[in-house]
Formats: sequence, C-alpha cells, structure tokens
Amino acid sequence: MTTTPVLKLVKGSAAPLPRVREVDWSILMARAQDGDANAYRRLLESITPYLRAHAARCHRNPSDVEDAIQDILLTLHAVRATYDPARPFGPWLTAIARRRLIDRLRRQGRRQAHETEIEPDHETFADPSANLEDMTDIHDIKAALERLPSRQREAVRLTKIEGLSLKEASAASGTTVAALKIATHRAIRHLRQFFSGGSET
Amino acid sequence: MIPTDDLIVALAANMRPVRRLRPPLLRATGFLLLAALILVMIAAAHGWRPGLSVRLTEIRFALSLAGAVLTGILGAVAAFFVSLPGRSRHWLWLPFPALALWLVSIGYQCLSFWTPMLPDGASPGETASCIATLGLTSLPLSLAMGLMLRHAASFNPAPVIFAASLSVAGITAAALTLFHPLDASIEILMFNLGTALLMMLSGGVINLLVSNRVEMPQ
Repeated sequence: MTTTPVLKLVKGSAAPLPRVREVDWSILMARAQDGDANAYRRLLESITPYLRAHAARCHRNPSDVEDAIQDILLTLHAVRATYDPARPFGPWLTAIARRRLIDRLRRQGRRQAHETEIEPDHETFADPSANLEDMTDIHDIKAALERLPSRQREAVRLTKIEGLSLKEASAASGTTVAALKIATHRAIRHLRQFFSGGSET
Repeated sequence: MIPTDDLIVALAANMRPVRRLRPPLLRATGFLLLAALILVMIAAAHGWRPGLSVRLTEIRFALSLAGAVLTGILGAVAAFFVSLPGRSRHWLWLPFPALALWLVSIGYQCLSFWTPMLPDGASPGETASCIATLGLTSLPLSLAMGLMLRHAASFNPAPVIFAASLSVAGITAAALTLFHPLDASIEILMFNLGTALLMMLSGGVINLLVSNRVEMPQ
C-alpha cells in the first residue's frame, strides 16, 4: 500500500505530515528500538508539537493539554515494540494519540457528571455590607421600585425579591397567577425603562 | 505533574532496546500451532470421540466443526492485527462469517436433534473428562493469548480481548466436538465471552478506581 500517511485526528483539521519528516521519525523510531537513546529523545521532542496541536483540540486547559501529551508519550513508550519500521510512522502514532485522547475525554465526562459548577453569582463575601449596602445601584433599585405602581411593586417583591413561586405568590397576594405574571412583566419593563433613562420602549 | 521536556529526558534515559514484534500473521500462526499441539496431545491421551468418522460425514456436524475451527483461526488473526496501533479496526469483522456459520449450525443442532447421544445422559466420568478437556484447551490458550497480546493492554484492550476470546472459544469448542459426544458449543461460547466480558468490566472498574484516586484533589 502506498497511500500518503496523514497525521490527523479530526477530519480536515490537521495539515498533512511532510513526507520527509515522517520518514525521519520512522528512522529515529527504528534506531530507538535498537537502543539509541539519543534518537529516541530527538524523536519524542520532535513529535511533541504535533501531539500538542492535537491535544489542544480536545482540551482547553493548558495543564490538561500537557497531561494528555504525557499520557500519549507514556503509552508510546510502553508499546514501542509494536512499531514496524517497514510501515509508516504517522498512522501508528495517530492511533495511539487518538486512543489516549478519547480515553481522557471519556474519563473527563465521567468526572464532570459528578461535579456542580459554581457560578460567580453564588459567590459571596464574609463582610455583610459587601453583600448589601455597597452593592452596585442598590439605592437606585430601591428608588425605582418605589416609583412602580403598587400592584407591580408587590408582584416584583414576591416573585423576584422573595423568590416565591407564582402559585405561592398568588396565594400570598390574593391575585390570580395570570395577573401576577402580567404585573411582574410590566414591572420589569418599567424598571428597564428607568435604568435606560427612558430610551427603551 | 513534571514538565513534558523532563519526561522526555527521563524516558530516553530509561530506555532499553526492545525486540520488534514479528508480523501479526506469523504470530497468529505461532499461536495456532500451539493450539494444534494441545489438540494433538489431548487426542493422543484421550482418543477421538466414538464414531467421529461417521459424524464427520454428516453435513451439519461438519459445518459446526468447520465453523468453530474457522472462528478460532480467524479470531486469532483478528486479535493479532487489532492489537497493533495503526492497523485497521475492520480486522475485527474477520471472524464474523465463521462465527455466523458456527452459531447457525449450533442452533440447528438444538432444534433438530436434542441430546440424541446417550439415553440416560452423559455419565459422571464422561462429564468430568469433558470438563478436563475444556480446561486443558482453554486455559493454556488463554494464557498464551494474554502473554502474546499483553502490549495491547496499555493501548486498546477491549476489542483485542473480544477477538482473542472468540478465538479461544472456537478452538475449545472444536476440541470438545472432536473428543466428546457432547455438543456444548453454546456453553463454551457463553463461558468464554462471559470471561472476556468479566475481564473487560474488571479492567474498567480498576481503571475507574485508579483514575479517581489519581485525580482526587489534594
């Protein structure tokens, strides 16, 4: 078979390997198998940028990328006897790299299934005033709320500030759910108008 | 985590020369020769099943035996090819036609002549020697496969284990058919593939445990 070996993990994502370079790698690997440590080091150093480019497609975090490269290098080291110098080096390397990257993504997926992301909104500060008085625009918001018609103010207070569900809020205020929805919607629109200086319609 | 450059230096420093693996077809042939040797040894010690030559002329019996033997051979070839990085995964399809032939003939046997051989079932002695044959073929063959394909463990074990156990199952079933008047193909297939599944599952669990431990926050 004389197909041109191409080192790529994702269709159309990587440039084809220069043929000369791959032959070099093949020779270096063959010499490494015979025990030439220097050739082996040169080989690993020269494939690392390629591996980094591919790992970067699977991981965003730079330390994850380095982890993935090291994972691939360790596997390559463990199975280096399986390389046949008569065959192209690219597909051999790519198969190992792809297998390791897929394994890592699977493991990551499993791990993330057990994690809860903490959003910045949930962050709070030890100093109570940091959470209340000095918060941006708290006074403006209060003033804007004062300017709302009483039914809308009540609706916003129950559903948005106290965080009741529509049903609970309707029971507390004695209005219907539909009326509450409309009042909340109008109140938000009014508030938006206050803060955009009346430019928003 | 150590820097990647340091890892490369460490790997190069600790590198020993390795012997390249022989071509996969050659290694598969070696494995099959071992299997043939085991079968010949059992044949010498135990003798063929009674009436083997008569049964061999029956088309169903011959098909079933051929299916099992072919599954054994092609499964071994597939296992040795798939275990190498960069070889096509399509090699895994190789044993399937033979497996289909084998399974169809087993199914046919079950339907058409259900336990025809002995009126009061197999005698305890026969059963014991049958189990001995099963162990004597499948254990050394599985061990040999495991040794010859151990490099696949750090690359991509699951399809290799699958193909290898299919091969061992085929050879074991053929051995049983040749030496005993019992048709236990289904049991052997289930036994071998069940073992393979168990190995894959335990591998997965170990992998999970190890990776969880490694990734545990400090």
